[in-house]
Amino acid sequence: MTFCYVNYSKGQMKIQQMAFVLVAIIIFFAMVSLFYFSIRVADIQKGAVSLKEDEAKELVRKLSSTPEFSWTATDCASCIDLDKTILLKNRNTYSGFWNLDYLAIEKVYPAGQGECTRLSYPNCNTITILNKTSTYGSPAWAYVALCRHEIAKSAYVKCELGRIYAGGKGIQ
Amino acid sequence: MNKNGIELSFAWIFAIIVGAAIIVLAVYATTNLIKTERKVQETEVGKQFGILLSPIETSLEAAKVARITFPDETRLINRCRTTGNFGAQDIGISTRSRVGDEWQEGAVLSTFYNKYLFSSATTQGKEFNVFVKPFNMPFKSADVIFVWSSEYCFVNPPEEIEEELEALRPKNINITSSVAECTPSSKKVCFTSSGCDVDVSINSKSVKKGKQTVYYEDSLIYGAIFADPDIYECQVKRLMKRTSELSLLYLSKSESLTPRGCASGLEVELALYANQTNAINNSIDFREITSLAKNMREKNDLLLCKLF
Repeated sequence: MTFCYVNYSKGQMKIQQMAFVLVAIIIFFAMVSLFYFSIRVADIQKGAVSLKEDEAKELVRKLSSTPEFSWTATDCASCIDLDKTILLKNRNTYSGFWNLDYLAIEKVYPAGQGECTRLSYPNCNTITILNKTSTYGSPAWAYVALCRHEIAKSAYVKCELGRIYAGGKGIQ
Repeated sequence: MNKNGIELSFAWIFAIIVGAAIIVLAVYATTNLIKTERKVQETEVGKQFGILLSPIETSLEAAKVARITFPDETRLINRCRTTGNFGAQDIGISTRSRVGDEWQEGAVLSTFYNKYLFSSATTQGKEFNVFVKPFNMPFKSADVIFVWSSEYCFVNPPEEIEEELEALRPKNINITSSVAECTPSSKKVCFTSSGCDVDVSINSKSVKKGKQTVYYEDSLIYGAIFADPDIYECQVKRLMKRTSELSLLYLSKSESLTPRGCASGLEVELALYANQTNAINNSIDFREITSLAKNMREKNDLLLCKLF
């Protein structure tokens, strides 16, 4: 049986100690940085989502007055023109225009049934203009007057009660 | 042999070198962190500024005035792009800091596709005056937003503009009857004479700023006064792109109403208008579409089922 004796000098021990201290310092700072950045990134993401929601909230109040939705400016600038809105549904050019993930109009009274298509319009309930993601959260909404041209014996304007929904949560 | 000197052990040398390296790294990291945090904050404020502009937009009103105040001197960065279906409005904020660089460049600009900001490329101040008006040609295309912080002096403006400004009283706009009455620091805007910082010709519907002349229609007279000519031309192009899209929307509306017994007879004009507005490159091209726009407005006003 052979015994091996390894002799370390005092200097070698010191160098080993210093190396361990250096590694420990690097690991410590790396962990602190990781911890800080994970919290900060989460915070920034939260801030971005909150800003998008704020944008949706502010926008929903004004959307009925935008030219794409509004009834004639002289008669009722805040009413929504349903004849125009149904045509917006399939226009891809407007998909990123409002920075929203979800945009829809719903008839409240008298309530209809189902999603509106050009065939079912105006005997339907909802016009979904944008629906980019299923995780848009709880959309902001506002009551609006939904107006359209009706032709019976003569042409007249029919307005009903509705709601406009806008949501933005996805970060782009 | 006399050995005069300080004997440093290995431990001391190591501690000094590593300590110095840690301090240098810490200072570098902190400086970068401050810069990044400032960038994040400025990006958030830029987005908030854009969001704040939404409630100021008009619905029934002919014009709206607001004031946005910052706690310290701030730069509003206005960038305009014409790419894509509607072009884009980029808004950035740069705040003055007493630590590090006074003005830091590089905040992420917030992009809005439905806003039209008419101002200088960089507007500096603590208080920003915002004036919003709808742009109708012949239908409402958008709300146009005019932003300024410095003082303006309007010399002999037309009655219509004078009445509007006196009713709304936006800050930093003084109305005078002669250039001599303007304060020396203000930007002079002449309506009936020339030689001012900005010369407006009501007859030719043009605004001359330095060597550049831009042309306006409807409420864009304010845009031509407050905005840099390059930004003005870019926003005009964006506005015309949206007008073109809206023309196509009204064309579809007209086609959908016709079988229901509510024909407008405006289809040909709307298709032509959509093409012409989409092809506009400069504000001087306004002259080519004004008569068609006027014609459509007159026809629409007579309709039983109005399109716009």
